[in-house]
Amino acid sequence: MTAPALEIKGLAKTFGENTAVDHVDLDVPQGSFYGLVGQNGAGKTTTLSMAVGLLRPDAGTARIFGADVWSDPAKAKQLVGVLPDGMAMPERLTGREVLTYLGLLRGLSKEVVAERAEELLSVLELDVAEKTLVIEYSTGMRKKIGLATALLHAPRLLVLDEPFEAVDPVSAATIKQILRGFVAGGGSVVLSSHVMALVEQLCDHVGVIDKGRVAAAGPLEKVRGAATLEDRFVELVGAGSTAARGLSWL
Amino acid sequence: MAVALTMARMKLSILRHSTKGQQGGMMASAGSLGVLLAGGTIVLAFLGGDWLAAAYSVWMLGWIIGPVFSGGGDETLRPEFFSLLGLRPQRMAAGLLVAAFVGVAPAVSLLALAGLVAAGVREGVAGALVAVPAMVLQLAVFVLLSKVSVALMGLALGSRIGAIGAGVVNGVILAFLGQIWVFMAAFGQGGQIPEVVRYLPSGWGLLAVQGEYLALAAMAVLVVLLLLAWAALLTRRAGRSRPSTRGRRPMRAGTPHGAVVAKELRSWTRDLVRNHQLAFAFTYGVAFAAVPLMLGIEEMLPLAAPLFIMMAAAMTANVYGTDGTAHWLTLMTPGASDVRGRQLAWLAAVGPVGLALAVICTAVVDGPWPLVMAATFALLGGAVGLVPLVSVAGLIPGIDPKNRGGNPLRTSEDDGSATGMAYLMLALVALTAAPAVAVAVFFGWWGVPAGLLSGALCWWGFGLLAERRLTARGPELLHLMRTGRAPESGKAAPGTFQLPESMSRTQRMIVLICASFGAIPLVPQGIVAMVFLTNGQLQHSWFLATHVSPGLRWPVAIGFVLLGLGMYGTALWLWLRARKAEKPAGEVTDADKLAAQHH
Repeated sequence: MTAPALEIKGLAKTFGENTAVDHVDLDVPQGSFYGLVGQNGAGKTTTLSMAVGLLRPDAGTARIFGADVWSDPAKAKQLVGVLPDGMAMPERLTGREVLTYLGLLRGLSKEVVAERAEELLSVLELDVAEKTLVIEYSTGMRKKIGLATALLHAPRLLVLDEPFEAVDPVSAATIKQILRGFVAGGGSVVLSSHVMALVEQLCDHVGVIDKGRVAAAGPLEKVRGAATLEDRFVELVGAGSTAARGLSWL
Repeated sequence: MAVALTMARMKLSILRHSTKGQQGGMMASAGSLGVLLAGGTIVLAFLGGDWLAAAYSVWMLGWIIGPVFSGGGDETLRPEFFSLLGLRPQRMAAGLLVAAFVGVAPAVSLLALAGLVAAGVREGVAGALVAVPAMVLQLAVFVLLSKVSVALMGLALGSRIGAIGAGVVNGVILAFLGQIWVFMAAFGQGGQIPEVVRYLPSGWGLLAVQGEYLALAAMAVLVVLLLLAWAALLTRRAGRSRPSTRGRRPMRAGTPHGAVVAKELRSWTRDLVRNHQLAFAFTYGVAFAAVPLMLGIEEMLPLAAPLFIMMAAAMTANVYGTDGTAHWLTLMTPGASDVRGRQLAWLAAVGPVGLALAVICTAVVDGPWPLVMAATFALLGGAVGLVPLVSVAGLIPGIDPKNRGGNPLRTSEDDGSATGMAYLMLALVALTAAPAVAVAVFFGWWGVPAGLLSGALCWWGFGLLAERRLTARGPELLHLMRTGRAPESGKAAPGTFQLPESMSRTQRMIVLICASFGAIPLVPQGIVAMVFLTNGQLQHSWFLATHVSPGLRWPVAIGFVLLGLGMYGTALWLWLRARKAEKPAGEVTDADKLAAQHH
């Protein structure tokens, strides 16, 4: 049996009194398009950060194609491309320079870096802003350059935290197309989102996280059953009766 | 007035929340120090002459210059918070002004201004009565001057020419302050205070108390004018700097190491705050060393290069912190030597200028070549080693560059710690040069190889320590930068510059004072004074050992060195003791285990 693209076992993290992630287990099969859904503050970002080595877990392990993220980081991190949510970049570089810098850090040769950077910039339509520094980028452009850095070294797994937030519909379509192509080529994608329709449209597997625990996980059809993902999600996380209440002064 | 009161209340609530925990400790220490200074100022009210007016001019300068060096001043309430309310600029400025009166610094300043009451009582009933409005107006003048100068700096930092210009102006002002004795010797006769201090805006309150009621009106007018200026500046603040559309030179690096150097060098040239810092460090070094030329004293000129290097190191002490969460990229690319690349870039940015400055200044006065070159090499190496190490070991979480808003000086929420770190860096870098300087003093040219050797050792050794720490504690550093808090969950804090919780307030105060001021006895009054003694330069400015009787000279200098070392030792001992107490023996954290596995 081949190792899963991402295997999370018993990951846990507590911040002070607050248990952000409470022993999460997830298996992302190779070649799957995996959607991680949950409310704000459910623990999606914390889980993904621990899974790729950006946050040290209190307990548990994460393996990327069998390589342990914490004991064999060099191998694991070579296989994964990451797009974190809201993190800074080398802000005083242009998009092309960011890609050149990162490609070289990843140990790629100068020529390969130049070639891939050219292609990424043109596909993501960032080449029009050739002279613009990243600090001057809009939120959507930041997401795109982040995705470009994640794809640059030809990883086999992509871990994307809220890749579609604040991205305009045209750019979103471009990103979707790239991601679908990546999966069709044998790659695996994990993305987090709280937009159910998007996950339903893109993903074949889904994990529902609620209050730091896995409420349901598996192939999309199994998790949602006969209902829509949105209905199933509300049922799982038990949103209560807030839906019907209006505001008294409006 | 409703707006003003609401803003004041809002600030009070925020301050109440921040008095808990570590920041509260810093606030208490700074406050206690301020109260001491204010007490000293009030005492001056009982002396004759212009002592009080002179003291108030120092307070005013503190208000104007302080924020430039401590991260843009008090920004508890940011103008951006209220931009959607549609307040008129004057109304917003007035509200922010009232809120600016709430806080430790204004309270301490108001206490210092109580000297006006003391001075007024000496004049009679009228003087005492006038003192009260004079205090309030004087404080408003201080606060507004501070706000306007910060706003002007913010504007200046929107363009390269402005950033460099502001750095030059600040460097000159601070160097002149440091060398104030030159001006006193040149203009005042025999240590007298120049009369002009009475007529500076800082002296108007005192003038009013002494019967010149016009000064009271003048202060009121000045407050209104400054308020209008600030309001006008606040509306400009929202405008970010224009995106640059210059052509960019392509990145030619071909290795991971080269890529880090290329990235860093681009940050040095493109980041206007860094432009400003380098311009400041350069001007400060040159001006400080050149000012005594006014009195015909040439010996200090060769100090320019060492001062420049030390200042440049102090300004970049939090280099990882100011880059913010971009650290995640370093985490995702293990094996790429980030620290070494940054070291090389730092050396490339500061080294050539420092060396040129050393050679030129020493050639001009045909000065002590071995001493200057030994110090320059040792300092360059020391700084290049210590900058990444201190920055990793004592990381102060910065604000991500894209979130800095209208105040580019504000690179960290914790400006107190950032300032402390800059002082610490000054002292530490100076210490790394001590061995080479000592060799140069006693053995002449042997000092230069000693400097090269100690510099190379610092570069290599401290760099190695920094690299190791970055690898072992990388995720913790990232977490600290993301949240501004050290990771909890039962683990030891990742050695931030924060003082351990188990310390009492008195202990914290002692540590803070010792670490901040230990350099004064150690370096100028100790090591530098010894240098002057060895060269037979007596009666030298404020170096005490050169003024005492022959038998006492060396003992005094040695005593100062011991005092300085003792202060650092005390601070270190208290700190280590408290940290030990926090981390019970036998408890090994996961991070430690991992670090052990790595090595």
